Amino acid sequence: MTKETYLHEKHVALNAKMVDFAGWHMPVQYTTSIIEEHNTVRNAVGLFDVSHMGEVFVSGKDALKFLNSVVPQDISKLAYEKAVYCQLPNKDGGLIDDLIIYKLGITEYLIICNASRLDEDLNWLVRNKRGLDVKIDNQSHNFSLLAIQGPKAAELMQKMGLKTNQDSFTIKTGEVAGIKVLASRTGYTGEDGWEILVENEFSEYLWDKILEAGAEFGIKPIGLGARDTLRLEAALHLYGNDLDEKTTPVEAGLSWSIPKDKEEDYNGKAVIMEQLANGGTKKLIALKMLDKSIARHEYEVYFNGEKVGHVTSGAPSPTLGANIALAYVKNLNEICTGATVQVMIREKLHDAVVVKKPFVSKRNKVKGE
Amino acid sequence: MGITEKILCSSTHEYLLDNENGTFTIGLTDYAVEQLGDIVFLELPEVGSEYKKGESFAAIESVKAASEIYMPISGKILEINEPLVETPEELNQDVYENGWLVKVEATADAATEMNDLMEYEDYKESVH
Repeated sequence: MTKETYLHEKHVALNAKMVDFAGWHMPVQYTTSIIEEHNTVRNAVGLFDVSHMGEVFVSGKDALKFLNSVVPQDISKLAYEKAVYCQLPNKDGGLIDDLIIYKLGITEYLIICNASRLDEDLNWLVRNKRGLDVKIDNQSHNFSLLAIQGPKAAELMQKMGLKTNQDSFTIKTGEVAGIKVLASRTGYTGEDGWEILVENEFSEYLWDKILEAGAEFGIKPIGLGARDTLRLEAALHLYGNDLDEKTTPVEAGLSWSIPKDKEEDYNGKAVIMEQLANGGTKKLIALKMLDKSIARHEYEVYFNGEKVGHVTSGAPSPTLGANIALAYVKNLNEICTGATVQVMIREKLHDAVVVKKPFVSKRNKVKGE
Repeated sequence: MGITEKILCSSTHEYLLDNENGTFTIGLTDYAVEQLGDIVFLELPEVGSEYKKGESFAAIESVKAASEIYMPISGKILEINEPLVETPEELNQDVYENGWLVKVEATADAATEMNDLMEYEDYKESVH
């Protein structure tokens, strides 16, 4: 059965077009123009209901040891109230999910994961407990998650009573419009902003208050359609498109997130370490189309007349006014920045140039004052 | 008589307008364009090419996805709306005056083929 977030009535009242996404009935757009919603986030501020995402609390004496055994990142280096982008590899280094881990206390952590992968993640985490003293507590059904994203997000949050002296990738308890929340300065748009974790019963109140207070900043509710083009411009991966169980973090271009010197063993470590040194069998590249055509998910990619891979995500970039894509290709040195490849679109080959990631510079690295 | 009283619509969201000179204009319905949202790409066929009813003759893309456009009747392409290929976003404003796609010369089967098409009011009802 398709699930609804606690904000479902709000979306319906706003005339949102609703779609099924990862088992949830979610707003894909509130207006007829995804481009307008996209630009609102780039130029002002947008409000997203991302309550479908999973929240899993991990606590207990062995919480650190446990987390260090399931992710390539070094959780012992994660300071109190800090967040780190992580992956959950299987034994072969393939990705079960990508997630953010937050340190909430000496032995307490929060995982925020993809809605589509929550069940798999929970199964995997429980299977990997191996007698450790750790509690894995899925609280996804008790929390709503509201994302406030854009260059005006900080002004808006400050106006609503949140202390905004908070760095990017940190989480703090705080109050927004008098409601106690967990405020994480993170997002999925490439912009500065917050993801606000709130108990379900307060989510509708908070949603209304944010739209009300945000009016002077030009706030709009933003659907999954613009969320997708925003994250693509920032070259942020979408699980199921750009990440899956047959893809390692090295192949996905996530080597930057993996410490080489972590001592503890973790699932897939041998494969990941080997690939960090020598590269994977494929690599994720960023493409800009050289004509007006649009590369879409699963379109084939050619290089020198040979099929070398496929597109995983592709869309028009409203910010660049060009059509962009992410694609996996054979790990050939010749397919580097500046190289031209071809994408098969409706039985014709169209040129695309390999460009650096991200497509649009991120503005989400903020130092709290 | 308004234009919506003159057109016939297909279940795949194309409209057909009889120009009453043996030619027909084909476009996408306003409902289809509204559902697609921001139109960002349009590909039209070559003048002179021939298509059977139900065949894909053009492609259209919104921000979200690519879709095909199908012939509501069989015919030969006489004229294409070339300027629209350069500014496909104009489809979001109007699908008739400046937003038509192609003009075709129908075949002898046209009358029979048109039996499958719906009047605009019936079409609107079928999609709502």
